[in-house]
Amino acid sequence: MKKRSIGSVAWLLLALCLYFFENNTGTRIVLGCSLLFALLPILRRLFFSPDHAERITRQPVTIQSFSYKEEADSGDVRLYQPGDPINRMHWKLSAKRNEWLIRESGPETLPRDMQAESAASRDAASAKPKKKRLLLFCLSALLLLLLCLFLLPSARCGAQALCNRLFEASEQANAYVYTRFPVPEDQSIALAGVLLALILSCLLGVTLLSGSRFMALCLMAGGAAFQMYFGLSFPAWLNVLLLAAFALWMRKRPWKCGDAFMLLVMVLAVSLTVALVWPGVDAATEAASERARDLLSQIVRQTGGTVKDLSQEAYETWHTHTQTLTWGEREARAEKEFRLETVEEEQVSMPRWIDYLRIALLLLLTAALLILPFLPFLWLNAHRKKALEARKAFSSQNAGEAVYAIFQQVIAWLEAMGLGAGNLPYREWTFRLPSGMQPGYEQRFSECAALFEEAAYSDHALSEEQRGQALSLLDETERALYARADWKQRLRLKYGDCLWIEKA
Amino acid sequence: MRRELEQVLAEIEKVIAGKRETIEKILLALLADGHVLLDDVPGVGKTTLAVAFSRAVGLCCQRVQFTPDVLPSDLTGFSMYDQKSGSFVYHPGALNQANLLLGDEINRAASKTQSALLEAMEERQVTVDGVAYPLQKPFLVIATQNSVGTAGTQFLPFAQMDRFLVRVSLGYPDHEAQMAMLRDRQGKNPLDTVQCVLSKEALLSMQREAQQVTAKDAILDYISRLAIASRSHAMLQIGISPRGALFVDRMAKAKAYMEGRDYVTGTDVQAVFLDVCAHRVLLRETAIRQRTEDALRDLIKTVETPDHHRLPGFKKT
Repeated sequence: MKKRSIGSVAWLLLALCLYFFENNTGTRIVLGCSLLFALLPILRRLFFSPDHAERITRQPVTIQSFSYKEEADSGDVRLYQPGDPINRMHWKLSAKRNEWLIRESGPETLPRDMQAESAASRDAASAKPKKKRLLLFCLSALLLLLLCLFLLPSARCGAQALCNRLFEASEQANAYVYTRFPVPEDQSIALAGVLLALILSCLLGVTLLSGSRFMALCLMAGGAAFQMYFGLSFPAWLNVLLLAAFALWMRKRPWKCGDAFMLLVMVLAVSLTVALVWPGVDAATEAASERARDLLSQIVRQTGGTVKDLSQEAYETWHTHTQTLTWGEREARAEKEFRLETVEEEQVSMPRWIDYLRIALLLLLTAALLILPFLPFLWLNAHRKKALEARKAFSSQNAGEAVYAIFQQVIAWLEAMGLGAGNLPYREWTFRLPSGMQPGYEQRFSECAALFEEAAYSDHALSEEQRGQALSLLDETERALYARADWKQRLRLKYGDCLWIEKA
Repeated sequence: MRRELEQVLAEIEKVIAGKRETIEKILLALLADGHVLLDDVPGVGKTTLAVAFSRAVGLCCQRVQFTPDVLPSDLTGFSMYDQKSGSFVYHPGALNQANLLLGDEINRAASKTQSALLEAMEERQVTVDGVAYPLQKPFLVIATQNSVGTAGTQFLPFAQMDRFLVRVSLGYPDHEAQMAMLRDRQGKNPLDTVQCVLSKEALLSMQREAQQVTAKDAILDYISRLAIASRSHAMLQIGISPRGALFVDRMAKAKAYMEGRDYVTGTDVQAVFLDVCAHRVLLRETAIRQRTEDALRDLIKTVETPDHHRLPGFKKT
């Protein structure tokens, strides 16, 4: 968990750095989304508590399950024998009983959902070696292909030609131009194209198979950097699609509806935020990004110069270029006025504190806008959590407490359906009960009302049968009332009052 | 309902037909070890009721017809000089032997007699010449007052009414009940057919058990909220006193006990609330044409029942 949050923070910083040196809207969207995606675990914890919900809904509310707990503590363990795997050791119980105990996860002692889980994990275990082999294969293929790309002269030249083509395309789309690689005109790009495609697919395979968030994030950053460097601005929709694809890969396998919805909302939020907060090109950021780009191109020029196996002709051209450049610079430096001017210019283009303030304000605004769409979910989730908490009492150790909670739930149902009788003791509510219920419902209701009173106002310990009786009344009420509710009431039952929770 | 109590009720119903509710309330008061104020017109069978009660439960019944010249010593007894022994000898009064005292027309008694009776009701002992004589157990006073013909009477002061656990009224019987009554009394007295179905000791133990009925905080909270709401009710000048709240609790316990439960519910409180509180509250002068019962019903309607009202931090342990 800690590692993950450190990763998230690192990613956030990286994305922010990239963000401020780039002015292209599409890239911003990708960067913003990937940033958000890095924050997804935090956001999820903040807005949703699905784990919590799962835990409770999964717990079957039946009488049999109450006695299960003790069995699980003691039933499926046995004494340790030499040769048993140490990771099956039941440490807690061993410590309690002062003898070595081994966990025995026999399928017959497990409840159904846990059986399913263990089956799933067994499947996963058998699938693992296969996956691992594939992953290894992908990795080795990737390395091999990269080696090919850099060592084969024709492939290398092809890649350079491909880059030039991209530069050309970028020139058409954007105003700025970059240096090109010196390549003969008739250089074929087929081999490099194929190699690059293979590399890309291997990369994707590795990402997919390893299922690691980090790899996918790297890919995303790579995509953004690629767009930035070449000045290729994909249309915003393409970027969003790319992001969605990456995100889909990144998620764990059972892809849930809620997660998809969350992602959608997030992407929309990012798009909106970028469109609203960063509509055009900010002068200061523009200048900063321009400088960064200059720096980058210089670095490229220098690193390009050290490559030894440039063709003689290209090397010479490069050399003369550098010569003239350094010479011209020397000349320029000689002129005092020019130097003063450049100093002044530099001073002007330096970002001032007001710019930092603006950036901070914009960041705050961005954060607010990002969080705003989630507020309703926050509210809904709090509601749901509360409702689930109330349901948790149904399976409490104390049957009386459970009966109390269950009957309150029945009352909540009746009230939600407008069938409440106001400030009357519950046992007198029978006259307002709906007419279309099962025969004998009133009788059962008043019996349970008496149970409720016993639970609330006496010191008696209630029995499990009485809990079962109350549960069956609740079940009956829920089914009958939900069946007769119209869609508006159903919506309210599901999301407003959170009374209706789908049963498995 | 408990079988023994059911039997008692059946015995009394032999004599007084169609007044089951009132009889139940008096029985409840007996269980709760309190006293009853019967507010009624003459001739509806108050005395008969008291006698029937005493016979069914095996109690000793005494009757005092109050007039302005009944003296406190008539009730409490007095000491007289005995020449033979040369000392004062105590002669017990009407209260000393009685388990069930029927005080007829208590509003006609002189105020010092009234207060002597009320003191005895509260303390359950009489003191004559500095010696305290405990009264019989159980001790139940059924005092009556007539709402008609009030000439030359002293109505019980409000403060003293507070000492009665319940105020009930028998009222006229309906046609059927009256027919049954007439038929029963053709040539025989139905009082003679009343049998003792509950011993005095059993009643005493029942009283003890009734006071051991559980009243959870939620119920006490409800009673307290009712009392506090009554003190600020628009129609009421004087609300329910703390003693009134105590009596509601006691009566509700008896009610629960009678129902065969050992815990009090909100329904019990509501069932006894009107009878226990109607004579403890005073209407405002602005509330003309209203009755105290209306104000109390309004309280029951508006104050949240314990079922609805969850105490902060309610957790069943």
